[in-house]
Amino acid sequence: MTKLLRLAGLAVVLVVSLLFAVFVGDQGPWYFAWVIGTVMIILISGAGAIMLDAQSNLSSDEEI
Amino acid sequence: MEFIDPNVVDLSRFQFALTALYHFMFVPLTLGLTFMLAAMETVYVVTGRQIYKDMAQFWGKLFGINFAIGVATGITMEFEFGTNWSMYSHFFGDMFGTPLAIEGLMAFFMESTFVGLMFFGWDRLSKQAHLAITYLVALGSNLSALWILIANAGMNMPEGAHFDPETMRMQFESFVNLVFNPDAQAKFVHTSVAGYVSAAMFVMGISAFYLLRGQHRQFAARSFRMAALFGIISTVAVITLGDVLGRLDYEKQPTKIAAIEGLWHTSKPPFEPWILAALPDDAKQENHFEVGVPLVLTPLITHTFDQPITGMHELEDAAGPRIRSGIEAVSALRRYGVTHSDVDLALFTQHEQDMGYGLLAARHAPNQDVTNIPENQIDAVVKATQPDILPNVFVTFWSFRFMVFLSLWFFALFAISAYVSLKRRLEHNKLLLKLCMWSIPLPILATEFGWITAEAGRQPWTVFGWLPTFLSASSHGVSYMVFSLIGFVLLYSVFIAAELYLMFKFARLGPEHDSMEPHAQHDAPKPSAFDMHPTAS
Repeated sequence: MTKLLRLAGLAVVLVVSLLFAVFVGDQGPWYFAWVIGTVMIILISGAGAIMLDAQSNLSSDEEI
Repeated sequence: MEFIDPNVVDLSRFQFALTALYHFMFVPLTLGLTFMLAAMETVYVVTGRQIYKDMAQFWGKLFGINFAIGVATGITMEFEFGTNWSMYSHFFGDMFGTPLAIEGLMAFFMESTFVGLMFFGWDRLSKQAHLAITYLVALGSNLSALWILIANAGMNMPEGAHFDPETMRMQFESFVNLVFNPDAQAKFVHTSVAGYVSAAMFVMGISAFYLLRGQHRQFAARSFRMAALFGIISTVAVITLGDVLGRLDYEKQPTKIAAIEGLWHTSKPPFEPWILAALPDDAKQENHFEVGVPLVLTPLITHTFDQPITGMHELEDAAGPRIRSGIEAVSALRRYGVTHSDVDLALFTQHEQDMGYGLLAARHAPNQDVTNIPENQIDAVVKATQPDILPNVFVTFWSFRFMVFLSLWFFALFAISAYVSLKRRLEHNKLLLKLCMWSIPLPILATEFGWITAEAGRQPWTVFGWLPTFLSASSHGVSYMVFSLIGFVLLYSVFIAAELYLMFKFARLGPEHDSMEPHAQHDAPKPSAFDMHPTAS
């Protein structure tokens, strides 16, 4: 039951996101670009930190 | 029409500029740091590594100092519209007040409510719930900026309103047009992302300070890496949206774009140079010298190779008929206020789009009233008003260039920093680390120059094309303005001193001295999918 509710919740989020994308993407393309761009910036900077962890793990030196 | 002392107008402008520039020393960090905190906390939640929680908490503490003082400096500005700009508030309050009210009720309350949970909820909320709160703080602070910039865009490019001759003010017409005003969209993203750049430079610079001193190396390396990547993408976005704003100004605010480019005569595409440096002389209406790059200006502004950019002299000439028509509009409106005759209303409607130019001519009319201009002096008044349509070219030209040159510097610094960090050679590049450290205040400076470009470039209007600045102020005395100005300078200088003192103090102490969350209480590191080997963090 919990899984079903979670799935339903995710489906609602998906539908709302699609409606948001269609409406805002059409009426306010730069607002939409801000949403997508901010998510992208956060993900890339986070990936950079995780990559540093991986680099540190794979290397024996103390370089940072 | 009430006569307003020009000295009071200048003092009102100076006071608002000062308070706005003071306030905007704090805003960019708030806008950007919240999303940087969200990025750090996201990594913490995904990987379970304690160091990212330390990062979110330490940078969050510096964010908290900045947030508190930023809020204090912002509140006074909203009151200034009523106290110092009462005519503007009457004329444009319907349009301007709506987004400001939404900002207060929706974004500011949201941000202020969740910021408490963010600071004090680390031990009371689950990791996921706390992360959601951090995102809500970030969203709230940026939505706050959104509504302010929607209000500001209405002043630069009035959309969603019409002038009502019955109420003598701009009436709210369309919420959708107000929110989706192209200027609001571009300006919001440009300003918000400029905040990201400021925050990235702040985090990168302080991390560079730790690396130079050999302190908190793992903490600083991760903060530096995240900030460099955050900053490089944000800088590209800032430059892109700056280009969009330039294009919008070309279409809607030709006087601003001509002043920004120091373009006294209409350009000759495609060879017109982009002026790198010049000495614009507002009095003589010419540049004393110019150093430019050929072939750049036309594609830069128009995104074509064949469209000309109208120069300031030609814009002055084109304003002549509009000023004459505006005088007709204001005169008809004044008569309509007394007679309520359909003839006067029809005449006003015919000239309505030029009403602002008629009001602009009031400065040269007897008792600032265009209905008092004798028929044989109208040509002289029109001629005297024509140069008034231009902003201060020297200020607009150079503030824009400082902003652009600084943006290019950020791009280079973030790109090199990201590359060196990815190669794990940071500690071998002391010069780079020093440059990062000394560049901390530069993005704040660049955003200040950006605001000066936008606001000085809009002059002589508070509402572009509709309401001149010299008619927008309240009718205070000079002594009142001087007294309140001194008060603001003293108070805000204390705020800045407090901010700098606290920032330096807590930045020097570093994450190991975080009294809010002692390291003894840290969670044990948890393995995650990203853990290839157990590491000490």
